[in-house]
Amino acid sequence: MSFFQALGYFTREAFLSLVRSWKISLLAVLTIAVSLILGGVFLLVSGNLRHVVEGWKSESKVVIYLRAEASGSETVRMTRALEETDWALDVELVSAETAHRRFRRAFPSLSDLLEGWGENPLPTSIEVGLDWQQFEDRPALEAAFAELRADPAVSMIDDDRDWLNQLEAVVFVLEALGLVLGAILLVTAIFTISSVIRLTAFLYREEIAVMRLVGATEFFIRGPFYVEGLMQGLLGGAVAVTALFGAHLLVLERYAGAPLSLLASRFLAPIELLALIGLGGLAGLVGAVTSLRRESLGQTAETPGWAEG
Amino acid sequence: MIEFFRVTKRYAGGQIGLDGVDLRIDPGQMVFLTGPSGAGKTTFLKLIYCEEMPSSGNILVNGRNVSSLPRSKVPYLRRTIGVVFQSFRLIPRKTVFENVCYLPRILGLSSREQKKLAFETLRQVGLAHRLNAFPLQLSGGEQQRVAIARALINRPEILLADEPTGNLDPELSDEIMRLILDIHLRGTTVIFATHDRDLIQRVGRRVLTLDQGKLIDDYELPSGLAAETEATDGEQK
Repeated sequence: MSFFQALGYFTREAFLSLVRSWKISLLAVLTIAVSLILGGVFLLVSGNLRHVVEGWKSESKVVIYLRAEASGSETVRMTRALEETDWALDVELVSAETAHRRFRRAFPSLSDLLEGWGENPLPTSIEVGLDWQQFEDRPALEAAFAELRADPAVSMIDDDRDWLNQLEAVVFVLEALGLVLGAILLVTAIFTISSVIRLTAFLYREEIAVMRLVGATEFFIRGPFYVEGLMQGLLGGAVAVTALFGAHLLVLERYAGAPLSLLASRFLAPIELLALIGLGGLAGLVGAVTSLRRESLGQTAETPGWAEG
Repeated sequence: MIEFFRVTKRYAGGQIGLDGVDLRIDPGQMVFLTGPSGAGKTTFLKLIYCEEMPSSGNILVNGRNVSSLPRSKVPYLRRTIGVVFQSFRLIPRKTVFENVCYLPRILGLSSREQKKLAFETLRQVGLAHRLNAFPLQLSGGEQQRVAIARALINRPEILLADEPTGNLDPELSDEIMRLILDIHLRGTTVIFATHDRDLIQRVGRRVLTLDQGKLIDDYELPSGLAAETEATDGEQK
């Protein structure tokens, strides 16, 4: 029998077995699906969160507030000095008047607060868009910031990096948690598939014994079980991907505009979907291979039910 | 040809299956293997089709030393040996055709070739008309015929029968015996394990007697019972 003939035979037998014992097969498929859904949810949420953080990071700016006493020449000097650094992508001087206008526009209900103040309490500032790649040389950046703080014209520096970094750490923890939880559930799924295949092999023990008796090779005997495990895993992966897509659409529809929708705004990339399905298939195959070790499948043409008289 | 050279089989618990057996069975010979329960008849057969390996000694099957055969080669040896058991070992959920066609399927024959081969073999055992029946729809004798057809489908050089008439009444036993004689007359080496002394007396041929794993007797009886084709021919005349 050629390899392709054998593959056709394995697939046919595996399919028949899936249909014949659909209840236990469904259990295996759902176990794989649940573990992949959980892993996929973490992947989806952390991916979206990372995307949001990346967006915020690219938009975030360092704001250098100048003292009220800072002269115009000092302001210009500082603006030019910032423009010459390699970490400042864009530098914008925001006068006290511009800051006042922006505040009133952004917080109209609080504009009275400024009116009651008398003179404009908002200081002149310089907004600096950061080149985040420079973060790789963080000590140098810190040194530059320390130098700025020491400048007599500078009152304070408002820096978004710290909380963005903390948010990034949260994303990292989420990813790690998803990875660990997904791995644990995947191992559970492998055990389930392994048990299902072992049970199927037990149900087929008489047929296996006959096949051994007439001269079937181990490859021929085990092949259908391997393909069955693979099929269960791939089906589990397909169910997981479908469920994830459904959940993604549901969140987008129900929570449109709400912060929650940010966590599901982008669906998984095709390569990630293929990886999920492939991972399911691999788990199924590993489950089948581990279930059919020599001692579990037996190596003889004998079965206990066929003890001769 | 089957040759045993000082073959001993000792099981894990120390029980002796076969004890220093020396013998030779020529191609095309029909041999009865007899002895009380636990004498070693089944062990003898299992050693030939490599279900068991000898603890010491050598076994040659068609010139091949099977006592040192790697496990991966065992399936290829088994394709040249047909084995029939007392309990038939048919798969109830498979049809007669499917039960008979395990080996052709393993060999990768097309479904047309499988059908042709199954039909021819089932015709040989008189069951061509029951191709689509399930084993439980058949009588004991018919089930054993299907099991024989399964053993014969690859035209084996050797047929091993382990108490094949043990579950059948005397009439059906004769029917199966005639069929096996018929197979033997077509040139197949047959080793027939039984403790049915009457059957052996009626059929005749070479008789090997085992007791507690030892070969204690080896003699020839004159041929008696006619083969199925001979019997049919006789009835027609």
